[in-house]
Amino acid sequence: MTFGTVIAIVGAAIAATLAGIGSAMGVRLGGQAAAGVVSENPDLFGKLLVLQALPGTQGIYGFLTAVIIIVRMGLLGGSAIALTTGQGWALFGAAMPIGIVGLFSAIYQGQTAASAIHMTAKQPDASAKGITMCALVETYAILALLVSILLIFGIQL
Amino acid sequence: MIVPMKKAVLFALKQDREALLLSLQRSGEFMIIPVEESTQLSQKDQAEMNALKAENTLGFATRYQGKRSFLAPNPEIPYEKFIQTNEDATELARQLEQLEEQISAAGTEIGSLEAQRDQLAPWVTLEIPLHKLGATRSVRFHTGYIGLGNADAVKDSLQQAGAEVEILGTGAEGRLLFLACHYSDEEAVMEAAKAAGFAESTPPRFEGLAADAYALCEHKLEEAQALQKDLIQQVADLADRREELEILCDQLKAQCERLSAPATETEATFCLHGWVRSDRMDKVKKAVEQVTEAYDLAFSDPTEEDDPPTVTKNNRFVTQFETITDMFSRPKPSEGLDPNPVMAPWYWIIFGLMMGDAGYGLIMAILLYVFLKVKKPKGEFGKLVRVMWYSSITTMIWGVVFGSYFGETWHPLLFAPLDNPVGMLVFCLILGVLHIFSGMILKMYHDIKNGHFWDAIFDQLSWIILITGLGFLFLPQLAKAGQVMAAIGALTILFTAGRNKKGFGKITGGLGGLYNITGYMSDILSYSRILALSLATGVIGMVMNLLAGMIQGSVIGFVLSLAIYFVGHAFNIVMGLLSAYVHDSRLQYIEFFGKCYEGGGKPFKPLSVATKHVDVIDQNNEI
Repeated sequence: MTFGTVIAIVGAAIAATLAGIGSAMGVRLGGQAAAGVVSENPDLFGKLLVLQALPGTQGIYGFLTAVIIIVRMGLLGGSAIALTTGQGWALFGAAMPIGIVGLFSAIYQGQTAASAIHMTAKQPDASAKGITMCALVETYAILALLVSILLIFGIQL
Repeated sequence: MIVPMKKAVLFALKQDREALLLSLQRSGEFMIIPVEESTQLSQKDQAEMNALKAENTLGFATRYQGKRSFLAPNPEIPYEKFIQTNEDATELARQLEQLEEQISAAGTEIGSLEAQRDQLAPWVTLEIPLHKLGATRSVRFHTGYIGLGNADAVKDSLQQAGAEVEILGTGAEGRLLFLACHYSDEEAVMEAAKAAGFAESTPPRFEGLAADAYALCEHKLEEAQALQKDLIQQVADLADRREELEILCDQLKAQCERLSAPATETEATFCLHGWVRSDRMDKVKKAVEQVTEAYDLAFSDPTEEDDPPTVTKNNRFVTQFETITDMFSRPKPSEGLDPNPVMAPWYWIIFGLMMGDAGYGLIMAILLYVFLKVKKPKGEFGKLVRVMWYSSITTMIWGVVFGSYFGETWHPLLFAPLDNPVGMLVFCLILGVLHIFSGMILKMYHDIKNGHFWDAIFDQLSWIILITGLGFLFLPQLAKAGQVMAAIGALTILFTAGRNKKGFGKITGGLGGLYNITGYMSDILSYSRILALSLATGVIGMVMNLLAGMIQGSVIGFVLSLAIYFVGHAFNIVMGLLSAYVHDSRLQYIEFFGKCYEGGGKPFKPLSVATKHVDVIDQNNEI
């Protein structure tokens, strides 16, 4: 295994880890708020579940990026490409946008989701507006995911 | 399209009030609104309370009967049955209410008996009747608790001070000690006891042995528990007649709504104000005529000051998508623009593109169809389910176009997004431009219809030309035309965007207008989320297949792999649906509505049989 391969693997691992941590924290923030509201009004469970699940997507994006890197490196097929150190760093860098943006955007989206959950508690009809507010935060995670994906596919191996 | 509303004023005799409201409720076409002098009937409060009480009782009964399956549809009740008062149901509700009180009383009783029993427990081993623990001529008795740690050491020290000590049971406060000593030693004993942390505790009041008191308490507790169990069984038996209760609940709610209809009154007449759809005026008229001939019903057009509610009428397909718009904001009649006919197909197309897998589309189609047939969801939720069901078709189509079947790529008609992400990105952005253009064209159409022809040209068409021109710059054979178009568009904006401003503002307005290009660019780039989501669905499906494929060596592995296929793809479909719903809505709300639509309308809420627990089937309605 070349040094480049090691660096690329580290990059993939960091992307999945950071984004996953962010999503876990975001979903937790939403879940705490939702649990409080459901204790008062169990009928809202379905609507709140959607809001709580929203910050979960960054973790999926991080996972997705990691898998694409692994597939591109040929790790799963059995015939791993021997990456040069430069290629390894390139893949590492490509994995960073979704890892870092995913971490923070998921936490902030979780806070927005918690606020939206409180709003839904007071006005159950407004849950779609809350969903839109959360989706606005997620935009930047999506942009980061796109940059990561385009970079990964753009790097010559 | 927005249905015009008519303002309705109905005069009738007071004696017909109940019958008239019932008939109007059945027709479900008259939205009663309060006017300045209108009042509500005094029976309204009582009715509200009854409805609330029935709802509580139903909730109580449900607790002991278990929920109905999630898929079970609401029971269907003919209208004739729905309007009959059912004495049995009222009686049932009364009985359940009584039982609820009794169960709660039994619960309190059990709680206090348990506390009593726990208090008695440490005393049980004491062989002296409790009421005989008073001082005798020469002996003093003391009882009390010490800490749990060093009972034997305390016992020794107290015995040395001259006391007879017996260690009784252990309670919440510590270990119970029984001391007997000669009165002359009492002072020394108590001092030693205090030093050991002894806390005096008076024996429970009871004539006889503590053990007997304990047994009696236990016995009472058992009885109370048996009583509670029996009561719960009674509730469970009664709860089998839950449907009656559900009808009662909805009946009371409907009654409550009739009674709370605000009306103005004179000596012998009353007057209802409200809104009626202009295409359903005769229905309201018929509903009134069925009850009485002594009435006056007048319809008029809304004036400038009125704020009529919104009703949109579209074909079957578009109607389902109205729920997406309504969650953002309803169309406002004074704005006069219903975006649904344009929005619906776009939502449909983009949803499919975000899911983008033929296999998933097929599963969605089958499951949602079964759900629609079995559960028969109503209202906004039903619309949302049908939106997703329709979108399963586009999901399948895009899945075939991009060759994605359960995460596997197989003969794409166009290209596979994973092999050509840049191509897919361009495809999504072009789609986004078309989506935004359709919003701008809708706005142009609306402006021109309202006589703002030049606004349409300057604010919408100029941007369409500019953006199209910029797009052409990327194509070598059209680059020349692109330059011209971009220049025409940009100059138009520069010279006209400040046209409503004065003096210097005309110049800065033009520059500011041109600066909006950043807004358009970010709107268009926002459509890249379609690529991200379709890749996410595709890649996660692929990973599930990979994982399942890796363990398929043996028989056990094969069975496990089936589980991975099932769980993995189910998870992917659910997450995909959630993401597609959220982000497709967002593209409509921010990018599309931002170009053409404001909303702000109020919902049309006519007096109707709005039931929660049962579905009322009104076959003999002649209106």
